[in-house]
Amino acid sequence: MSARYLGRKVAQALLTIVAIVLLNFILFRMMPGSPERVLLRNQYLTQEKIAQVRAEWGLDKPLIPDQLVAYVGSTAQGDLGYSFFFRGTPVTDVIGQRFWPTLLLIGLGELISIIVGLAIGAYAGWKRGGFADRVGSGVSLILYSMPYFVIGMPLIIIFAASLHWFPTSGMLQVGATYPTIFDRLVDFGRHLVLPLATVSLGLIGGYSIIMRSSIIETRSEDYITTARAKGLKDSRILRDHAFPNALLPMVTIIAINLGYVVAGAITAEVVFNWPGLGTLSVDALASRDYPVLQGVFLLLSITVVAANLVADLVYGLLDPRVRS
Amino acid sequence: MRPSLHGRLVRTLAAGGLAVGLLLPAVGTVSAADPVVLRVGTTQDLDSLNPYATILVVGYEAFGLTYNYMVDSGPNLEPVPGFADRWERAADGHSWTFHIRDGMKWSDGQPATSADACFSWQLGVDALKSKPKVSLGAGYLEPTMSDAGVTKVECPDASTLVATTDDASSRVLQISLPIIPRHIWAKETYKTIGKAKFTPPLVGTGPYTAVEWQTGQFIRLQRNPNYWGTQAYQDEVDIVIYKKADTMVQALKAGELDYAHAPNADQLNQLKTDPNIKTVAGSANGWSQLAFNGYGADTGKTIPNGGPSTKALLDPAFRDALGYAVDKKTLVDRVLGGYGDLGSTIVPPVLNAWHVDPTTPRTFDIALAKQKLDTAGYPLNAAGQRLDKQGKPINLRMLMPDSNDDYPKVAQFIATWYGELGIKVSTQVLTSAALGEIIYPPEAGAGYLAKYDIELWGWSGGIDPNGLLQIFECSAVGSSSDSQYCNPAFDKMYTDQLAAKTPEARKAILAEMQNLIYDKAVYDILYYDSNLEAYRTDRFAGFTNQPVSNGVPFFTYSTLQYTKLTNAATTPTPGPSEAAASGSPAASGSPGAVVLAAATPTPSGSGSSSTGSSGSMTPLIIGIVLLVAAVAVGLGFSRRRSKAGVALDDE
Repeated sequence: MSARYLGRKVAQALLTIVAIVLLNFILFRMMPGSPERVLLRNQYLTQEKIAQVRAEWGLDKPLIPDQLVAYVGSTAQGDLGYSFFFRGTPVTDVIGQRFWPTLLLIGLGELISIIVGLAIGAYAGWKRGGFADRVGSGVSLILYSMPYFVIGMPLIIIFAASLHWFPTSGMLQVGATYPTIFDRLVDFGRHLVLPLATVSLGLIGGYSIIMRSSIIETRSEDYITTARAKGLKDSRILRDHAFPNALLPMVTIIAINLGYVVAGAITAEVVFNWPGLGTLSVDALASRDYPVLQGVFLLLSITVVAANLVADLVYGLLDPRVRS
Repeated sequence: MRPSLHGRLVRTLAAGGLAVGLLLPAVGTVSAADPVVLRVGTTQDLDSLNPYATILVVGYEAFGLTYNYMVDSGPNLEPVPGFADRWERAADGHSWTFHIRDGMKWSDGQPATSADACFSWQLGVDALKSKPKVSLGAGYLEPTMSDAGVTKVECPDASTLVATTDDASSRVLQISLPIIPRHIWAKETYKTIGKAKFTPPLVGTGPYTAVEWQTGQFIRLQRNPNYWGTQAYQDEVDIVIYKKADTMVQALKAGELDYAHAPNADQLNQLKTDPNIKTVAGSANGWSQLAFNGYGADTGKTIPNGGPSTKALLDPAFRDALGYAVDKKTLVDRVLGGYGDLGSTIVPPVLNAWHVDPTTPRTFDIALAKQKLDTAGYPLNAAGQRLDKQGKPINLRMLMPDSNDDYPKVAQFIATWYGELGIKVSTQVLTSAALGEIIYPPEAGAGYLAKYDIELWGWSGGIDPNGLLQIFECSAVGSSSDSQYCNPAFDKMYTDQLAAKTPEARKAILAEMQNLIYDKAVYDILYYDSNLEAYRTDRFAGFTNQPVSNGVPFFTYSTLQYTKLTNAATTPTPGPSEAAASGSPAASGSPGAVVLAAATPTPSGSGSSSTGSSGSMTPLIIGIVLLVAAVAVGLGFSRRRSKAGVALDDE
């Protein structure tokens, strides 16, 4: 891979991030409603108090250039400011508390669904029209079309509220004391099972459907016929010839999805009360918490751009045609 | 080689099963040495542990457990010992002496003395005297001190605080400024305390102190070993934050929670069937209303491209007529599931020492409403449209926040009823932030237009009616007012009632104020909501309501109810609050349900109980049926789809 190709891709990515930083600022401020109106609706409110809060939050200055300059300047220094809603808690702290839960839940969910989804899709596509295909594709399609809360709520009702196998919600049992780190891990694992199952089930469908069609396409390629003519076993053809080639279009999809891992899965987080970034951004949106919104979107855009950059590079490695 | 693929799948499944199996045995293992934890669920996310900065009920609960007020409020909202164990009024009436409990200690072991009390109250006095005015943080706390007329605070010795007041009432006992430890916060002033970082663990004199807070997840409060009062059964109180009330309700049913704050009416009815869960519907100190935009009625001012769409809204006779077209009983029954009281005046009935019913009440009578509109000069045209005095058909724009699921339903009813009068109503649901900005008139700043006709929203107040009365003062236009109403006569009565020498004299003025707002139909108060709560009775006993007759156990005016819990296993009758009602809530108390974005409380009613049995298996069965149905539908679908797929592939 040439240095020029690499340089061009990285420059593109950086430019995209700069554009997003600017867009973030303008976008949220174009929404109707201002934060001090949400935060201060009470009968003791005075006009002095409104002015005081606006001044504290820098909302009294003109949007452009004062607020924009302050925002770009501090963002460039890695200072994301202070949350309006959480009364002066640094945005980095607020996001930091929610980052790992999201990464774990959605990251693991993606991982499981990629493995299982690709396996189901590949097998169904290989056995096209057979029983496995009918069941696999049918289930995939259903799961693909089901929102997380439709998957999650029955899981809670059956496995948590009725059978008591798993806790209904949360990430750790609140107030529990753990003798060892292992107990803590077990408790975390128990809390993780249902949301992880929900997220994985929700994601499997998409991967399996695309993988299935990709395999079907590959199956009619000449090299597969050649492989067959050479007398290779069916499973070996699938594993060594069809699967790797069918994987190529999946790289892009996986990369894009991985980029969105930090966006969280809002409905799954809501249903399982999982303290992730998805719910944080929804709450921040409702309370017009500009600094938190900007922070979340900045993080999100950086990961998406980075994931796409990685996809471009990997693609370049895998497929020489792309580089030229 | 099919076996190999299958084999791998089987191995994977087996490994997964093993992992799940490892996790399962951990269910419900609580050893005797584990601390006893009371878990309280709420859907409100804590904004801050700083008492001066928080504006949410959950914030008041957290700091209310951690800190004491000078005087707390008892089962019937009467003054009871807090940071001070006794108090007296001077003979001349101009000062109060508070005696700080001897030997009291902060949770960190430092002595708690009048120096702490003086420091904490001085913050309030300083804020009230500041010019230009600076609020203590969000500005929710010091109004209780302003209401009490406190002008000076002194501490002649370590156990005495003397407060000078020019107020004739005993509102000084209702001051809701938390007493915070001076040895930790001495560097802060009234200007800075609202921004100070209250990082847990906090040091307090309350029964529990906040030790950990994870935003959006939970607040943990541990027993204060130095608490001066009776120690409760539980070692820890954890407030768990839920994103969705459905999940909270499931957690309560599963026993992961002991208490659920504010489920909705449907969820409450569902919880009633669980034998181990008791539900409570207490009267809320608040209401939901139609606020009519009367901007400029007093001044004649208009807003270019803004303000109400018709001058009719400025006419009390027009608004009064509309009041006859609203069937509040239907709203309470059909929208709130019966959990609520019919709305009337601006002091909720729960404040029964101050509430009066209207002297000339409006009843539901569409024909009468039509007749009153005709008489007031709002005739129908040939097309059946109601015309204003300028000859323009009246079309009203009703706005509401998205924070309350009941409002769109209410709006449907209102639109239908007003429609029968020939008045078309268009409705719109907005986020609180967007709605708040639309309501602002130019007085709040350049560019604000107050462009709405009716706002459907709610308010909740403190234990004293002053807060709710202030919304109708002239000074509220441009800040908290959503009716843009201004009437100097009302303002004068407000000042008079503050200065009233006796409760009787105050009530007489309050009665006049309530009737004035009712008669002028500034608001149409639709209903007083209920506080719905549910708790398990199999782990903890001793839940008591505050106030006893029509209150709820937690999220009230005091956190003393937490200290009354006992072990259900050793208590023969898990008796939830059955004491007699003696409600004179006039005295004392803390800031009550001061909610903002959620200034839209929950449905109302009175009393309730847990009945019935069974039902615990029903959700399981429903869940399984749903799952089976989904799979069946899916299989059928896949069959058809695969046939189509084959046909396509064979082309």
